[in-house]
Amino acid sequence: MNAATRFAAVCLCIAFLANPALATVDDAFSFALQAAEPYVKEGFTIREDYWGGDLAVKTQKAVIHQLFKGNEYWFWMGTDVEKATISVHVYDSDGNLAENDHWQKPHFAAAHVKPKTTGSYYLIVEVEKSDQVRTHWALAYGFR
Amino acid sequence: MRSPAILSLLLSAGVCLGDQPPRHIDIGEGRLPATLIEDVVVPLPGEVFTALDKLGSPNWHDVLRPTAPQMERRPQIALELGAVIAEGFIAVEAKDAEQVKKIGRDVLTLANALNVRKAVIERTKSITDAADQKDWAKVRDELDKASHDVSQAMSEMQSQTLSQLVSLGGWLRGTEALTTVVGRNYSRDGAELLHQPGLLDYFQKRLGAMDRHTRGDELVAMIQKRLPEIRPLIEKPGEIPAAAVDQIHSITAELVKAVNSREM
Repeated sequence: MNAATRFAAVCLCIAFLANPALATVDDAFSFALQAAEPYVKEGFTIREDYWGGDLAVKTQKAVIHQLFKGNEYWFWMGTDVEKATISVHVYDSDGNLAENDHWQKPHFAAAHVKPKTTGSYYLIVEVEKSDQVRTHWALAYGFR
Repeated sequence: MRSPAILSLLLSAGVCLGDQPPRHIDIGEGRLPATLIEDVVVPLPGEVFTALDKLGSPNWHDVLRPTAPQMERRPQIALELGAVIAEGFIAVEAKDAEQVKKIGRDVLTLANALNVRKAVIERTKSITDAADQKDWAKVRDELDKASHDVSQAMSEMQSQTLSQLVSLGGWLRGTEALTTVVGRNYSRDGAELLHQPGLLDYFQKRLGAMDRHTRGDELVAMIQKRLPEIRPLIEKPGEIPAAAVDQIHSITAELVKAVNSREM
């Protein structure tokens, strides 16, 4: 490794460690896992992989996700911003609301779905209210 | 419908039901009311097997296959690693502790060849321990974590391509296993589990975006050529006939054989 490459690698490491955005998505993920915790006792398997990012108030992101008929799913969204109101909802590939239930509370939101068909579903996440310009969020899911 | 008792319980727990979401959204191209995230979380083979188990009791021992890592080229090793992890989920379904432990060792061997041994060494130990205790839920969990850790380690090494090939290898073996079970005892509900257009689109897109060197790999090129043949066969949920299941089985079996072959 030459000096220039070494310097670039050190800068990259510093940028990575100092990037608060990465830390806060991790924090948001911790909240999502906290929301998921009671469901593990009910037999839900929580996936290691998750989605995350940051959003301005009243903006949404969509995720396309494969669901299997016969399984039951919970999607748990978390944020580290206490005063934020966040939401997650599930739509089928025709754009119809597919969830069986949903809830919201400080730091958390969740949606429950028992898919009527196997296929692609749209998960819509939103920051409805927040005292931050950008609100970090993470979305985890579990199935049984 | 929520009962008043549940509603009052939720409210007392500080749970807010919030504004009711729209009953319908426009998901047509360019009309989605949200920015689409390109990242796709590929379902675990265990996820589709869980759904399949509810339709009957497949003989998973008949589906389980011995693993023998070939370790030829990096793209092949990545695909093999995914396929071996998928085999781990089949071994869990078959409740075969010895095979699970062998798979744990194979995961470590393949991860070593891809320079991500460190990321999975603890996981493979946990897989072995859980298999000894016949704690199948724990084995499933550790296989998921191993897959996640490999992917994360590869991303940190700027090897997203290899990470995607691991996912693809897992999907191919998982789909081959699914078509084996459904093909032997056909049902519309079982066949419907193959309706995975979003995942197929994702894999095709990712293969198309890989660097020329990787796409030039004979095995990767073969997968890129054969994968689009599956898409029209799984188009409509609930309308996937037995013949289509057999066809998908032939394609995925051929690809998995190539993944596990020294000749490719």
